[in-house]
Amino acid sequence: MPRKKKSSGLSLWLIVLLVVIVGAAAYFSLHRGGGDSSLRTTEELNPDLYYENANSLRGNTYKIDAEIDSALGNSPSKGRLFSVVLKGGTESGAPLVLPVLVPIELGNLTIQKGQHYLMKVKVVDNGLLRVEEATKP
Amino acid sequence: MNSLRIKTSACLLFSLISCCGLGAQQQSPGNAETIHETGQQYKQGNTLMGAGDNRLIGRQAASDANLMGRKRLVDLKPNTFLALWNNPLFAAQFEKFLSAPAETSDDARLYRERINKIMELLSPGSATKQNQDVAFNLLTKASEFESDANICTTIHDAVYAAADSRVEIEKLTQLNEKLETERRQEEYNLLQASRDNPFSATATSKNDIVNNNANMAIERQARIDPAKRRLSAVGQTIEQNKMQIASAEGQAKFQLQALILQLFAQRRYQHVIIADRFYRALFDDGDESLASFQRMADQMGYNKAAGQVKLVAEGNPNVAGAVGSGGGPGAGAAAGAGTNGGGASVGNNNYGGGGDGSALSLSGMQFGLQNASVESLMNAVSSAMRTMSRTFKSLSQLDGIANEIIRDVNEGVKVYKYLLEKNELESAGTQLASVFTKGEFLPSVRLLTQDEKRRTLAYAQLCNKLVNSSESGNIDAVQAVVAEIKKQNPSFDDTEIAANIQGIKTASGLHVAQARVAASKGDMQTLQLEITRAASIWPNNPEVQNFSTDMAKLSERASPQVQAVNDFDQLCAQKNFRQIWDDKEKYIAAIAQSPEKQGKLHEVLSRMQDIETTIMKSQEIARHGDYAGAWEGIEVAFQKYPDDPKLAQMRAELTTQAPDFVHDLRAANGFEEKKEYGSALAWYLRSRSRYPMSDLSKEGIQRVVKMILPDAT
Repeated sequence: MPRKKKSSGLSLWLIVLLVVIVGAAAYFSLHRGGGDSSLRTTEELNPDLYYENANSLRGNTYKIDAEIDSALGNSPSKGRLFSVVLKGGTESGAPLVLPVLVPIELGNLTIQKGQHYLMKVKVVDNGLLRVEEATKP
Repeated sequence: MNSLRIKTSACLLFSLISCCGLGAQQQSPGNAETIHETGQQYKQGNTLMGAGDNRLIGRQAASDANLMGRKRLVDLKPNTFLALWNNPLFAAQFEKFLSAPAETSDDARLYRERINKIMELLSPGSATKQNQDVAFNLLTKASEFESDANICTTIHDAVYAAADSRVEIEKLTQLNEKLETERRQEEYNLLQASRDNPFSATATSKNDIVNNNANMAIERQARIDPAKRRLSAVGQTIEQNKMQIASAEGQAKFQLQALILQLFAQRRYQHVIIADRFYRALFDDGDESLASFQRMADQMGYNKAAGQVKLVAEGNPNVAGAVGSGGGPGAGAAAGAGTNGGGASVGNNNYGGGGDGSALSLSGMQFGLQNASVESLMNAVSSAMRTMSRTFKSLSQLDGIANEIIRDVNEGVKVYKYLLEKNELESAGTQLASVFTKGEFLPSVRLLTQDEKRRTLAYAQLCNKLVNSSESGNIDAVQAVVAEIKKQNPSFDDTEIAANIQGIKTASGLHVAQARVAASKGDMQTLQLEITRAASIWPNNPEVQNFSTDMAKLSERASPQVQAVNDFDQLCAQKNFRQIWDDKEKYIAAIAQSPEKQGKLHEVLSRMQDIETTIMKSQEIARHGDYAGAWEGIEVAFQKYPDDPKLAQMRAELTTQAPDFVHDLRAANGFEEKKEYGSALAWYLRSRSRYPMSDLSKEGIQRVVKMILPDAT
């Protein structure tokens, strides 16, 4: 006896739903991940790796999601030094506080304690994180 | 000298014993129970034996080792030359001779020429009356030189005195010849007087004859008696003169013989020959025997009244003579008393038909030393002179021996020079010592130059040093000198000396071992006995020194105060200040007597006070659960005092209470040291986030920021 052919209307509905879901995901992704396309493509900094051996990361550029903790110093020649607290923390619950240098080039950036920034940082000599881009989420 | 040596030895021994802590002090007697107590007693002394006992023990030990008195070390050695140095008098004289320059001055040459001239003038075949007079006059000139020591003047005086005696004897002899003539006349007169007169022609009767005979007898007796008296007087005078002749000759001969023997004993052999030849010239009767001297030597006495040490030969006999007369052979007895003694003699004589007896007594002969302060020395000289009188029987014998010695010495000098050339130092030295002993004053010996004697002098000084060092009992010094001698004279045979030294060292070591055994038993008496013996026979024995040091340490341990001070020094050296703090009461009390250590103690106590305060604070903070804060306080103190054990222990304990914080800080420090300031800052920030009150974190952050941003504001 010949099989009964399934309905082709159900398959169409599934395709439409999938398209809608993908479209929503793309929308959320664009709006939550920042507006800058460069931050979207930058890898996030692994804090444990950084603490363990920052030298091995030298020259790399990472993305961090951090809150300004305190200003550590201000150099007219090199820029401003801040401590930032990474969002999320570690599995052990230890605080993730990192020093970042905001160079003179980013002097127009207004930075205050408690502000939340997405930063693109580069690991430079002696393990310091130099901010290359910073945007508010 | 012996007493001085004993005193010196005693002083040295006492010093040694004092150094070793053996000096007797007031201390409760009794043997120690432990080695610590033994050490304490050892240091403080023991009443069982005082310093005097120690000296006796030491002397006995040294005597046992044959070091003292007999100088066994050197006595046993086979070297002849070395043996000569056992006599200190000889050693000094010989050393003086070796150092003296050769007698090559014009004066010395002139003196030798004069002596030779005198000997030549008096030599057999040349000794005419005229030459004897010339030689006699040269004596006073020869005596002008220092090296003659006025001996020629002495000979001159003795010869003069003997010549005087000869003149007196000659006069007495001539007088006796006249008296003999007179006696013969008197004898004739006596004979004539004793003859009977013829009978008277007027005698007519028997009675007349009897009366006549009686008258004749009376007359005869009257004639004989005066003649007898005159004859007796002449005879007595002749006998007295004979005795005077005998006495004067005996005295003159004795004085000259004694002088010759004295010169022989003084080794003035040239003077012996000169005096002997004068003697022969004066007493030309052929009598060369020394009988007169022998008689005097047998009667030798002592005369200590004079003020100068010299040999005295005083032939001043007091003669007593007596003549007995009688009808027949008679016997005479006489007794004489002189100022220096008495004598008695019995004699008999048959003289002619008269039967006279005569007796002669001599007394007052003396021979000895004047001003001799040591009785034994005088006795020795007396014995020597008796020996000489029995050894030499005639002056010819003396003359021959003197000539032989002169020849022998001259030959010895040649041999010495030859041996010196061959570098046989010991044989050369022995030869020179022999030559010097026999003929110190002979020209061949006196003409040896300083250069010819220099090497022997150096060797002799070493030998002298060897004798002295062996006498001192210091075997280390003996060993050093022997090594030096061997260096100069490789053929020196030191086998026996080395064996003796080794024996003494071994003996000393055994005594020390016995002392150690005694110490372990707490037997103070034996300990002291043995260690004193060991130190006496080998004062520089290192084992004795070590033993003394060990015992001193033990004794110090037994003294709480000294021990505390020593412990303090030791703990400071070990930086164990915690131990000092724990027993601070003890050390404060002990150091109070040592002002030089009080500064150090104060420093230690301040440091420990600081540490203790920190610990207390940290404990209080930890009690409130702030372990990171407690750890941080301890860490700051630990960096300042890293060697305190309690601080280290507490730091370790608190580390386990705040491990993450400590870990973060240590990691930060590590990166900071590696100049990875970015990483270091991250860790400091992390540690501060764990303990926001952390001073170390804050300070670290400030430091690192300064390094990253030097111009930061």
